[in-house]
Amino acid sequence: MKQLIQLTVNGELHEVRVEPWKTLLEVIRDDIGLTSPKEACSTGECSACTVLLNGKPVNSCLVLAVEAQSKDILTIEGLSQGSKLHPLQDAFIRHGAIQCGFCTPGMLLSAKALLDENPQPTEEEIREAISGNLCRCTGYNKIVEAILEVAQSQ
Amino acid sequence: MTQPLKPFGYFEPTTIEEAAQILSKYGTKAKVLAGGIDLVARMRRRLIQPQYVVSILNIPGLDYIQSDEAGLRFGALTAIRSIEFSPIIERDYAVLHEAASQIASVQVKTMGTAVGNLCVATPASDIASALYALAARLRITGSASEKIIPIEDFFVGVNKSVLEPGEIVTEVILPSPTLQTGGAFFKLVRTAADIAKVNVAVSLTVTDNRCGEARIALGSVAPTVIRATHAEEALKGSTLEPKVVEQAAQLAAQEAKPIADLRSTVEYRRGMVRVLVRRAVEKALTRARA
Repeated sequence: MKQLIQLTVNGELHEVRVEPWKTLLEVIRDDIGLTSPKEACSTGECSACTVLLNGKPVNSCLVLAVEAQSKDILTIEGLSQGSKLHPLQDAFIRHGAIQCGFCTPGMLLSAKALLDENPQPTEEEIREAISGNLCRCTGYNKIVEAILEVAQSQ
Repeated sequence: MTQPLKPFGYFEPTTIEEAAQILSKYGTKAKVLAGGIDLVARMRRRLIQPQYVVSILNIPGLDYIQSDEAGLRFGALTAIRSIEFSPIIERDYAVLHEAASQIASVQVKTMGTAVGNLCVATPASDIASALYALAARLRITGSASEKIIPIEDFFVGVNKSVLEPGEIVTEVILPSPTLQTGGAFFKLVRTAADIAKVNVAVSLTVTDNRCGEARIALGSVAPTVIRATHAEEALKGSTLEPKVVEQAAQLAAQEAKPIADLRSTVEYRRGMVRVLVRRAVEKALTRARA
């Protein structure tokens, strides 16, 4: 019993036939072919699967794809403008805010959602914004520094 | 261990009546989907296996926060994040604002609804403790009936509420705050994103330096959130001097019926109830006098 849904992913309209029990994460990775959102805990604990849904961060492992009908989705693939990196991506590289990279797409999207809503966050607000995004390489300080730099240069 | 979701029948009703009818028809085989935080995660852990999922996300008019002279109301689809950022709730219902603020993560609060959190009926619910302290009432809508009950009558046990198949919690109703009322919320957690080892929500009314109303709610220390009624009685009518506050905190610790689990021992939870009740009463008192 597949349902036809329309999703705008990184500005491109996609029509996909999905079963209601497919998660948004599965559809983004398997049907649309974007593999930046990662599956790890599958229960909303780690946020490696973060995407922005209508501009807000959600755990796509807990969203049914059918819930995202007609909505706007941003993944990390849509963050840079061609070869020009988003300021957050640039800052993450310069600050060494990346080790294995598994949590990075989710971290960047959480940071983007924060700065879109609150362009001048305090360090505490930055820590709160990424509190759900777990990094097993323990790189939090560098991530916070990178986000803080972008906030201060805006 | 988690696994992909198993197939289920999916409904997207556009009215509460339609949703209630589908839910009555399928009874315990059907589950309501709102934010999906608890439902989808438990389905992926294979803890529950509903044959039907009824999304209420397409029902208009369930996502709001409204206030008037009678008090404040919010709907079944109001996200925890919306509650956290509501200026009216921050000003007039500090207990609820503080509870919502301390829940992690942003993603969970953006997707998750306060009503959904109540319907999970976990004794560790920060939202439930705050709403006990605020004397909240819940509007429950069925296919042929509607009722409003105090939040304390909603919970039966761990993951058990009075909701019958076909019933949906459609609204939370808070009484309007009086001038000399102050509240505070405290919790103890292992990490920011974990559930509470202990949470405490307090609401006090102070008139002419004496305590009028007192409501103290304790979370994570019994099968449901509970009121510490002996502690409340100790505060009522008193001038809230430190000795009385400490006595109330000790009574609250005795009223708690915690279990030992991976998060804490019984003794530690009781000890922390005492500490957090004392701190919350002190903070609520400062706010009531401000």
